[in-house]
This record gives sequence, C-alpha cells and structure tokens, in this order.
Amino acid sequence: MDAEAQDRFREFVENRSSSLLKTAVLLTGGDRHAAEDLLQNALVKALNRWQRIDEPEAYVRQILYRQQISRWRLKWRRRELSVAELPEAAAGSDGVAAADLRLLTRGALTRLTARQRTVLVLRYFEDLPEADVARILGCSVGTVRSTTHRSLARLRAIAPELGALGPAAGESQPSRDFSPVEVRP
Amino acid sequence: MNVEDIVRDALREQAAEQASAGPGFADRVLAARRRRRVRGLACAAAATAAVVGVAVAVPLLDFGKDDVRPADVVQRDEINAHTDQSPPRELVSVGDTVLAAYYIPRTVEHSAQRAERVRDYWLLDPKTETYEKATKWSYVAIAPGLKTAAVLERDLPVSRIGLLDLDTGKIRTWIQVDHEVAGLAFSRDGLKLVATTYDENPDQLVKMQGSESWDQKQPSSRTGFYVLDAVSGKGSWSEVKVDSDTDDPMGGGFLNARQDFSMSPDGRHVWAGNPMGDVGKQFYDLTGAEVAIPANQKYLEWYVDAWQSPSGRLVAGQFAGEKWKTSSWVLDARTGEKTEVHGQQLLAWVGDQSLIAWDIAADSKDEFRQRLVKVTIGSDKIVPLSGFLKGNDGAAGRWEPVFAER
Repeated sequence: MDAEAQDRFREFVENRSSSLLKTAVLLTGGDRHAAEDLLQNALVKALNRWQRIDEPEAYVRQILYRQQISRWRLKWRRRELSVAELPEAAAGSDGVAAADLRLLTRGALTRLTARQRTVLVLRYFEDLPEADVARILGCSVGTVRSTTHRSLARLRAIAPELGALGPAAGESQPSRDFSPVEVRP
Repeated sequence: MNVEDIVRDALREQAAEQASAGPGFADRVLAARRRRRVRGLACAAAATAAVVGVAVAVPLLDFGKDDVRPADVVQRDEINAHTDQSPPRELVSVGDTVLAAYYIPRTVEHSAQRAERVRDYWLLDPKTETYEKATKWSYVAIAPGLKTAAVLERDLPVSRIGLLDLDTGKIRTWIQVDHEVAGLAFSRDGLKLVATTYDENPDQLVKMQGSESWDQKQPSSRTGFYVLDAVSGKGSWSEVKVDSDTDDPMGGGFLNARQDFSMSPDGRHVWAGNPMGDVGKQFYDLTGAEVAIPANQKYLEWYVDAWQSPSGRLVAGQFAGEKWKTSSWVLDARTGEKTEVHGQQLLAWVGDQSLIAWDIAADSKDEFRQRLVKVTIGSDKIVPLSGFLKGNDGAAGRWEPVFAER
C-alpha cells in the first residue's frame, strides 16, 4: 500500500469513522469497546482491498453487519447476557413517558440476539427497505420480514410497556415465510 | 406512535450520544493491520527454532546416534555478544539459546508487475563460530542441537527438502515430496519437521492496479502441510483448505500469502496464524482436522517469535509500552496474567526467566534502530548482544535472526 493510498484511507477514517462507530455501537447493543473492536476489524479488512474498493463506506458497513451477525455471534452472546438490568418500569404503562420508553427499548435491544438487533438497526436506524437489508445480509426478503416481526415481538416480551403501543406495520401480517431465520451458515 | 417508531427513536438517541472515534483511529487500524500481516515472512523459521523444552528429555537430532541429554541440564549463563557487529560476523548466544542463522531479505524484480521477496542466509559454522553465507537456500530451519538444518532450494515452491549437516555443510538426505513445499519448521524436540505446501511461490509480489508499491499476491495458495519424521523423512500430507470469509462482501478470507504451519510448542498439534480469524490462530491434529485451541496455548501469538517458555508456563506477548517506552508482555499461559518485561519485540526464550529481544537504545527516538538484547523478567538489566539495525522496516540491509537451542 503506497503513501497516497494510506492518506486516502486516513482521510476516509477521519471523515466517516464517527458515523460508522455510531452504527457499530448500535450493533453491539451499546458496548462502546466492542464497537471499536468491530469497526477496527472491518476497517482492517477494507484496508486489505483498499485499492480495489469503489465505495469504501458501503463496503465497511456491509462487513460490520455481516461480521456482527455471523462470526462474532457466540462471542457477543456472553456480553449480551451481562449487560445492565432493564430500568425499572414506571408505575403503569399508560403513564410511561416517551423518554422512559426509549430507555426501556434500549435496554431491551441489548437482550436481542446479534442477528435480531442487526436487522432492526438496518430497518429502523438506517431506514433501509427489506429488499436492501436482504441483499446486505445475504438472505431472503422473507427472512428479513420474519426476523423483524420476531424481534419486535421479543422486545415486547422483554419490555411489556411497549405492548401498549400500536402494532407496527411489520407486525400487521404474520409472516408466511418459513425459510430458516439463520442468516449465514 | 407504534413500536417501530419507538425503536427508531431509541436507536437514533443512542447513536447521537456517541463521541467520535478519536483522532488516532486510522493509525490504530493501520498498526493493527501491520501487526497481523507483516511478520509473515520472518515468522516461521525463527519462531520454531527458538524454543526447546528443558522440562523433558530432549533428544538431539543427530543421525545414527541416540543422543539424549537430560532435560534439566543447567542453563549456561555464558553470553557471546558483539555489539559492534550488525549483521553479526561472530557467534551471538545467551546460555543455550544461539543465533543459529540470520537472513537478509531483498526484493528481486522479475518484471514491472512481478517481483519476489527472497532471503539470503548466513549459517553459523560450528567449528569457526562465524556466520557463513549460504546462497543456495531459499528457506532454512535449524533443528535444536545445531547439527542439522532443513533447507529448500531456490524457486519456491520446491519438490524436495534437504537435510543439511551443519558440521560438513553437505546434504545428508533429500526428502522428495508430491506436494510442493515453501516453508519448514522443526518441532521443539527436533524429531518432527513440518513442511507447508503451496501451489505458488508465497513470496512473490505483485503491483495492485493503481499502486506503485509491491504487495503480496492474494489469495494465498497454501494447500496443507506434511508432518515428517526428521530422521527418516517419512510422513504424510494433510490438506488444509483456505477458509473463505463469509463476512467479506468480495468473498475469500485473508491469509498472508505465506502463512506457514508449525508444530505447536507441546508437539501435539500443528498450528498456524489466521490473521483475520476470531482468535488469530488455528490448531490441527496431525491429520489436518481442526481442533480446539489447547487451554495453555490460547495466548500464543503467531507473530511473536518467542512463543512459549521452555517449561510451558509463560507465553511471550505483544508490545506493551506502559512502564517503559519499549517493553512487551509476558503472559501466564493458563490465566493470561500479564507481566511487563523490557524489549520491543520478544524473539527467543533463554530458560524461563530471560528472553532475547529486539530493542532500541534507551535514548533513541527511532523505533527501527534496534539491536538484539537480553532481557530478564523482573529486572531492569538490559544486555546488548549485537549492533543496531540500519534503515527503516523493509529497507535493504536489515537482517532477521533465526534462533535455536544447542
């Protein structure tokens, strides 16, 4: 790798690492240290192909998503179980303020599997359509739909206060897709 | 507001709270990549020859004789240092750990787009205790005992392995192989020889489109390994397929073009680094089937040449730099508990308490101006053993040590 390519890489990291790190933090359920590791690993991979990558950000993001789902799944599971307890719910779900609900949701997100959390981050943080999520993760649209549905249901099970909210569009129709939900072998 | 809305809001709120990655993040990534890959060329020969167990009887490789010395032979304290010589002309050793050879890597350009990283070796002549140039060999591994070297001829990969008598300088045996070999490593007891097989020369260099600098050719052409009896040359080949990386949108895992196999320090398995893997290394049984990493070897780093201490209790680790400007970690092999020791880069153990390392001078600001030193756990004493390297990493004239135990 020549000096010019290194400069381009440094410039890319300087401009985009904050945005990429935000995504990585969400993928790891709020574990900043794990997120930096995740991003560092993805950037090292990108470096190995730096001169052949046309769109580095898209490339790095794709590695982030896939890496989080497949190879690091077992490693993160241990972390997921060790996160802080959910905040105490307010007295009644009707009275729970939006800020408390967001906090509850963040706590509940840490207790999803890496796969479930990644699909939610792609759908609701990155605002990607199901077809794009499927393409990025290398699975069917049906799998994205069913994983989204199950993930939201699981959030409700973890934080019953969310049950008082209206049904999500993704939940209005039960999935008829029976393909395996495992995204990668 | 529905569940989707609250999930969206919660994720955005959490993202907004994150501080930036910090100004040094790109350098951290570049350094991590360097650590994972640049040692590929230098690693195998030095690392494998570096340690010999003293807790068990160590049969010395000496054809026709059953020469077994007691394992708990007292470490000699004698130091042979030549601080005015770089590369050394005369014997460098600490106790039983000997600089058995060194090589100088250089780049040979075959065309505008193709080149090769070759090594020129200097081997210790045991009679004169000087280093003599051995131009015929492209790769050399020295067996403990310093009586035998396994060698490969030029134009890797090659279909025969020579067993060189270091006393006479003559090949004692040629081992013919069906799968071509480009890397060699002796087991720590010297009884087994692991040969890594490749379809192509793993030291070839190419120029990527749009780049002016040489880079290793990807993907790696590694095919597997032989485990051979170092005396009879008999053994078998095991195929090890290069993993494809399912995380990588462009497919294919990253392995250094040269990523040699070695016998694990306890001699039970064959292992190799896996720079992009979850744990950075993979272990195999002698038939090539991947096995779990043994508990007392989980802290081994393939790019830290010193590996495990002779008793197996300690493992040489990465650069530390906390108590001193240049220092490294030594880890408890089972618990991972860390102790900081002087030395920029740990190369070979001398017993269980001392190591030979690369280090810079105390007042130096040049991280590449290193010399061989002896360092000791729990001690501030640093004993220089050689003169300083010249030039930057990768520059012409820098030499790479190959240690073995006598």
